[in-house]
Amino acid sequence: MLTYEPGDSFAHRLDPRTKLAVQISFAAAGLAHTTPVGLTALGVVAAVSLRAANTSPVSALYAIRYAVPFLVVGPVVEAARLGAPWFDPSAAVDPALASIRVLLVFLVAAAYVRTTPIRESRAAIQRLVPGRFGVALGVGVALVFRFLPLVRRDLLRVREAQAARLGQTRRLDERLSLVAAGGLRRAFARADSLTLALRARCFAWNPTLPELRFSRCDAPVLTLAVSLLVSVFL
Amino acid sequence: MATEHESVELVGDELVGNVARAALFAALMGASAYVSFPNPISPIPVTLQVLVVFLAGIFLGPVWGGVSITLYLVAGGLGAPVFAGGSAGFGALVGPTAGYLWSYPLAASLVGFLVHGTELGDYRVSTVRLVGAMVAGTAVIYALGVIGFAFVQNVGLGAAFWTAAAAFIPAEAFKIAAAVGIVRSDAIAAN
Repeated sequence: MLTYEPGDSFAHRLDPRTKLAVQISFAAAGLAHTTPVGLTALGVVAAVSLRAANTSPVSALYAIRYAVPFLVVGPVVEAARLGAPWFDPSAAVDPALASIRVLLVFLVAAAYVRTTPIRESRAAIQRLVPGRFGVALGVGVALVFRFLPLVRRDLLRVREAQAARLGQTRRLDERLSLVAAGGLRRAFARADSLTLALRARCFAWNPTLPELRFSRCDAPVLTLAVSLLVSVFL
Repeated sequence: MATEHESVELVGDELVGNVARAALFAALMGASAYVSFPNPISPIPVTLQVLVVFLAGIFLGPVWGGVSITLYLVAGGLGAPVFAGGSAGFGALVGPTAGYLWSYPLAASLVGFLVHGTELGDYRVSTVRLVGAMVAGTAVIYALGVIGFAFVQNVGLGAAFWTAAAAFIPAEAFKIAAAVGIVRSDAIAAN
């Protein structure tokens, strides 16, 4: 699984806002230049991003293996014909280029995930999204990260209990319903305890966040983000 | 640390409860990406995710149901391993399944609206209304999912439907039945 790993790579030292800007402008540039030349240039950017994040392309690709069938099937289905000649390779070119573009965006996103801790992502959200909405969004996201492993374990426990009681022989909708209801009950119970704990600790609108500061490293990367964005309009 | 020096302003009690529930529901949505069941009528396994979208609308209402699924998307985009197969990152939000992901908050809000109206009320409504709301939610999910796939993968809508939707649709009936089962069983005492 691709997650944050502490390190001292170039990408680790960048401000999270810079990294978010690169991802968004990279995706926009990919959409505007889905051509062999454009994708070659973006491929170089993606390779540099992975290198800067000290992330192996193999682990990044392994993390998105679920998407691969979609990327392969798209061009194949588009090129398939219901009569002679059965297969028209020229129709597969555009979807194949689109698949490559998607793959490149995934690689750049992997560099962000590998090098950005959640507290920095949260601080970036609260600085980028103004007002109380930004604060609530930041708190919510941090809580999702915090509770995900617990809720995942809750669901797993319900499933194991079901399997131990031969629950697998039940109808699919009953099994879905039992696991979801178990997960839901525990999630609501956790939400109630969390609410109580937040109130008891005077949950406020002005929490203390890690300081974010643009450094000298950010300048070339921000320039890259701006040039990618400008390229969309060329 | 970026310390704040002005006086502390507490978040209102009701809002604290709603944010906590929305966050836990978003975590449940993420955790359900890991739970899949063999499908009796298709080789593609069934995950709990769309079921949780329905439940978010039913139990949290149109506003907080949508907010919780939005939190799920933002957390996933920032690196929480909550998307299909435990993947994470911004790539999924603009990838082949982007249309599905973006449709989830809309579908949760729509289900919430059709069950509750604009205000969160009692979720124990008639079965017809419950099923109708979820069928409408399913329609939104698949419509946006197919359009998203066609746009991102640069294929026609027909090819997108057969590649990214047709095999998944029959399983939605099980999820709708499961959601009705949960609401009817009184297993959850929300509100």
